[in-house]
Amino acid sequence: MSIGTMFGDIIKSLFKKPATEKYPFERKAEPERLRSKLHWEPEKCTGCMMCVKDCPANALELEVIDRAKKQFVMRYYIDRCTFCDQCVRSCRFDCLHLSNDEWELASLGAVPMTITYGREEDIQFLLDKKANPDNPGGHPECN
Amino acid sequence: MQEKVEKFIVPIGPQHPALKEPGHFEFSVDGEEVTGATIRLGFVHRGIEKMTESRTWIQNLYMLERVCGICSHVHGIAYTLGVEKLAGVTVPPRAQAIRTIVLELERIQSHMLWLGVAAHEGGFDTLFMYSWRDRETVMDLFELISGNRVQHSVNLVGGVKYDITPEQKQKVLDGLNYLEGRIQYYEKIITTDDTFLGRTRNVGKMTKEEATLLGAVGPTARASGVERDVRVESPYASYPGHPVNIVLDEGGDLTSRFIVRIREMFESIRVIREILTNLPESELTVRVPRRIPAGEVISRVEAPRGELFYYIKSAGGENPYRIKIRTPSLCNWGTISSVAVGHKLADMPMLLVGIDPCFSCNDRLVTVRKETSSQTMYWEDLRKYGVEYYQ
Repeated sequence: MSIGTMFGDIIKSLFKKPATEKYPFERKAEPERLRSKLHWEPEKCTGCMMCVKDCPANALELEVIDRAKKQFVMRYYIDRCTFCDQCVRSCRFDCLHLSNDEWELASLGAVPMTITYGREEDIQFLLDKKANPDNPGGHPECN
Repeated sequence: MQEKVEKFIVPIGPQHPALKEPGHFEFSVDGEEVTGATIRLGFVHRGIEKMTESRTWIQNLYMLERVCGICSHVHGIAYTLGVEKLAGVTVPPRAQAIRTIVLELERIQSHMLWLGVAAHEGGFDTLFMYSWRDRETVMDLFELISGNRVQHSVNLVGGVKYDITPEQKQKVLDGLNYLEGRIQYYEKIITTDDTFLGRTRNVGKMTKEEATLLGAVGPTARASGVERDVRVESPYASYPGHPVNIVLDEGGDLTSRFIVRIREMFESIRVIREILTNLPESELTVRVPRRIPAGEVISRVEAPRGELFYYIKSAGGENPYRIKIRTPSLCNWGTISSVAVGHKLADMPMLLVGIDPCFSCNDRLVTVRKETSSQTMYWEDLRKYGVEYYQ
């Protein structure tokens, strides 16, 4: 006959600190391999689109302005991303990587969830094109 | 005066306090005693099988990992093993070893989680809290190896993403040493605590014949003495080189299901240690073509809950032609309606938990064929049937 087999454990725990951590007051160091926000380096990109094709969540869009001049703009939707690391593995030119410390990505609106990577003038060109679809004009470097 | 016999039915669910997922149960009772049980599932059907047909082979890996929230890795394994077989590639031995290590860690994690949930249903919340605290050790090991606690995404079609470094190996071994001590302690509790044994002993007793007849799989079947384990029957990944011993118990009641799951954790710890100390050196990935040659394959693996079955058919394109999944929880449901009869209503939550049900896994389309006729339904017919059913 044995009753209360865990009493010993309970009494011992009375003299121990709680197992839970008081986040956000206490923070553990990020695990080395934690998968969080994606970063893209446009210099190495060739516009092969493998990352876009393999993304299971359609979280990536690559706008090619001029492939020969390496003018690309990448739109990254954090709210769609599942942080699976497939795009990083699919990229043969090593231009994508997931950081391991930007994991507090919650936001009250949808706007901060879309990140546009690329050179300033390329992003501006796309924005202008979107604003005046009838008169696409030309990219300053293309003219 | 003729006595009028009335059947009293207690409906439970779909939203109910017993389990965390939706399911509808109807128990017909005579006083406190259950005289019949019916189960209705399908509240979290997501149409994953159909969705796979419009995604590429690579994209599907990540969606199929999300069939189950607790055992994501094993779904990835079943899928990748099938696709690699279709493509005719062999995964390097180190990748297979890492896959197996994560598989067994996942089994420990799942059984620890179940131990807590089952104890909670039995009103033993102390065991629930402590087993979940200790489960964090395994979750930390997942975080160490893959970076994520739940959706590890260790697999790639054709290998694994993450290597295990010597420092990580030592940390995994340390974690396992701690866990082994704790699991021994839990084994002692569930086999000696009289209050708890009162809730589990001779509850839901199922003989070997019944378990075979009802098609039980995994620990539920093994607790009734049925020798059924895919890791032993048709070893995959690293199991051929590191064989697993089947854990059996003849009791067939809830106590046996506790004992079998707890002893399986010891077996998992032994296998992980064995593989970690003999970790082969090789590449981590092999190249797999984007278009998988036409053909069909059956892939079976042993998930924490039992046999997980994948049927994969390729028509030679970038997308699969058809993927059919049969999860272990679905096979085990049949046992509930059979063994529930004769027990007290208060035993039902424990009985339900005894098979370690996973609802999001098992909400699949099942057609029960009549003995005399068979029927083939096309998508159009199915749609019509669905619309009419819900009218």
